[in-house]
Amino acid sequence: MAVALLMIAGGTAAGVFGSLLGLGGGVLIVPLLTLVFGLELREAVGVSLVSVIMTSSVAAGVYLERHTADLRLGMRLELFTAIGALIGGSIAFLLAERLLALLFAGLLIYVAVSMLRARTPAAPAGPPGEPETYEVRNMRLGVVGATGAGVLSALLGVGGGIVKVPLMHLGMGVPLRVATATSNLMVGITAAASAVIYVIHGGVDPYVAGPTVIGVFLGASIGSRISHRVDVRVLRFLFVAVLLYTAFEMLMKVVA
Amino acid sequence: MTSFDRSIGRLLIAVTYVAGALLFIGVLLMLVEGISPLSGGPRLDLSTIVADVTSLQPAGFLWLGLITVIATPITRVIAAAVGFAQVGERQMVLVAVAIVGVIALSIVTAIVTG
Repeated sequence: MAVALLMIAGGTAAGVFGSLLGLGGGVLIVPLLTLVFGLELREAVGVSLVSVIMTSSVAAGVYLERHTADLRLGMRLELFTAIGALIGGSIAFLLAERLLALLFAGLLIYVAVSMLRARTPAAPAGPPGEPETYEVRNMRLGVVGATGAGVLSALLGVGGGIVKVPLMHLGMGVPLRVATATSNLMVGITAAASAVIYVIHGGVDPYVAGPTVIGVFLGASIGSRISHRVDVRVLRFLFVAVLLYTAFEMLMKVVA
Repeated sequence: MTSFDRSIGRLLIAVTYVAGALLFIGVLLMLVEGISPLSGGPRLDLSTIVADVTSLQPAGFLWLGLITVIATPITRVIAAAVGFAQVGERQMVLVAVAIVGVIALSIVTAIVTG
């Protein structure tokens, strides 16, 4: 009983966090299941993928209803993310994992610094239902970046949101709130393809996934409904913190 | 097109509520039967899901809920393709079809390569 409740609580925290930042929450769920509950990494990743889909679906549903997510941009980019994931899955065993982790850590630090230096609006965006006005630029960069996000996602087992949000926000002129909402829409597709493979190979335990995903469902419902009240500066600070934490974890893998 | 986005959003929310309800029942049955989440659950067996659900076995509800969760984004893309086709956005229909095709190819590749 206590274990199930702890899993629900952990899933709730990951759901709030993931839906606010467009990450899916996998960066919290995998450490939670491996370090706290002693699951093997492969099992934890399988459960994490299903959780990411739940976060994505709940949050994207709310964001689409409120016109915060950009459905067309998200679908165009997720096509290339899916292609990237297919390429990444095919070359995963040809490249040295430590080299990839080092490169990825460098990329994360660069993105974190860029996000900190970017100009920030002082106040949160308008009320829900009023779409933000912006013009998407550098679609070619978006295509290349989305494909790269898919490759990295498949190679490193990380949520592609950590690349997609800065790509859309810094590279394509999409407001941060729209970028996180659109990323939430996109991460579900990438995770779904991988999750099916994990289920086929017995990598998802229903007794662990059940309580965790229920928690994620609750957390994502809360997170996506409070996101318009959260100051963009807080959102950016949280995102940079996650980027730096993930970079640190990557570097630790390289050292180990 | 905002009403179209809203419809897709509502579809996503509705499907996640169904998935959440199935998982909730599954976890409740797990707790009632005293099953620990760390005791190791059964692998997916599509042939036993209906029997498990009708006999109120937790694994049946949990697997049905998890399959619903995994199918949600793909359902969203297919629904978007239908919606775009209805309003004549051929480019977005092609994008949606291509996404489903790439996902199908990924899965087939993974199964074939083991």
